[in-house]
Amino acid sequence: MDRILPIITNNLDIYVSGLLVTLQLVGISFVVAMVVGTLVASFRIAPAKPLNWIGGFYVETFRNVPLLVLSIIFSAGLLRAGVSLGRMSAASAALGLYTAAYIAEAIRSGVSAVSKGQIEASLSLGFTYRQTMRQVILPQAFRTVIPPIGNLIIAMIKNSAIVAGSLIALTDILKVARVVNSRTFATNEAFFWAGVGYLLLTIPATIIVRRLETRFAIKR
Amino acid sequence: MGYLFDPANWEWIFAGRNFMFLLERFLNNIILALVVMALSLILGLVIALMRISKNKITSTVTGIWIDVWRNLPVLLILLYFGLALPQEVKEFWVDIAPGFLPPQIKGSGQVVASIIALTIYNSAVIAEIFRAGIQSLERGQGEAAAALGLPYWKAMRIVILPQGLRRMVPATVGQLITLTKDTSLVSILAIQELVAAGAIVNSTSGSPFISGSDVPAPILQVYIVVGGMFVVFNLALSLLSRRLEVRERKRAGDVETITGLEDQIAIKPV
Repeated sequence: MDRILPIITNNLDIYVSGLLVTLQLVGISFVVAMVVGTLVASFRIAPAKPLNWIGGFYVETFRNVPLLVLSIIFSAGLLRAGVSLGRMSAASAALGLYTAAYIAEAIRSGVSAVSKGQIEASLSLGFTYRQTMRQVILPQAFRTVIPPIGNLIIAMIKNSAIVAGSLIALTDILKVARVVNSRTFATNEAFFWAGVGYLLLTIPATIIVRRLETRFAIKR
Repeated sequence: MGYLFDPANWEWIFAGRNFMFLLERFLNNIILALVVMALSLILGLVIALMRISKNKITSTVTGIWIDVWRNLPVLLILLYFGLALPQEVKEFWVDIAPGFLPPQIKGSGQVVASIIALTIYNSAVIAEIFRAGIQSLERGQGEAAAALGLPYWKAMRIVILPQGLRRMVPATVGQLITLTKDTSLVSILAIQELVAAGAIVNSTSGSPFISGSDVPAPILQVYIVVGGMFVVFNLALSLLSRRLEVRERKRAGDVETITGLEDQIAIKPV
């Protein structure tokens, strides 16, 4: 470990650019995951059986398939089928659609945590289904959903290594560690600094999520 | 869409041993997941007990250990051990590996690197599940045991752990699902498992050996089948986990159970 400092000072620029690629990937995927996840959650709680089935099928499929397999399908698989997505879009589609299944489950359990009596009460007050959702259920569900979504962002930061490292070959921070390792043979140091890079993102996120958990905790 | 559903692109499934070959290699993922889970449960319990220890130094150091490993990507840990583990350790594994294991697991030194990497990561997650299980019991249980004159370890052994362990079963099964998905990553260390087998079936050089024909196996369709195998297996596990959760609720009345969500532990109050 005597090369611990030279490795980072000599390669600081590529480590930082790797960190930025990771952040960019997580950012785009998060938008995809939120949009698709909300849609799927609304399918799952909609008062129509066929929509429930579609939502359920989506969640069970994308939650149980390894992210590596998904990213192979979205990169090489689609390319062979004649669909060319570009590296960043393929990576964020795979990571975003995978996480969307978890987001949908988080939103659904947040909605179902609001007691049924409240739905009945607001319906009997003459609210429509949409008004009930918008004005009574969702504002409360939102509070319960924030901590799990924070946890999913942390999981996305970690999972971004899988999509970037598979056939998609984006130069994220883990890829930088592999490049530095093959150039210098300083395996311990190269991976140590990549680990530090990830912890710089995930540990503060964990602390924030823990804060939010106590702040938004609803006494029931 | 035409490409996806074109029957010609699905013929490979029925060609020779293609499908059986994939299933056989999936067994390697399952074996690896079960071995890692067994080790993680043992190590995780030790780590959890150190984490809740009354000794401040022990619990702080263990807390840092858990948080560091839990917050790193599994792939990074896997790659690191694959590259950094000394050759002697890998060869040692090939010498001592039990005979009943499939040859692809027995004969690859990288397997020991992946078992170490996955166990370090998973034992940290499992330790948190144990901790949540123990702490979900009302403090009253521990106090009552102390009031009855039970020493700490005896109270732990006969009062707290039996109840805590039962509550963490659903979360542990949930983690087994995550772990099964993570075993797909060991293909990056050139271990023969399902994802690597997909690449063989897909390749023009490997596939004729397995299928005995030159029906092309397009990569998209191959990995849809590979993904489908994972989905079926994990779906069965998650149904089991849900059933266990319901049974626990019925058995113990309205208790909190602990569930997992992609490595994150949630205590579900009633």
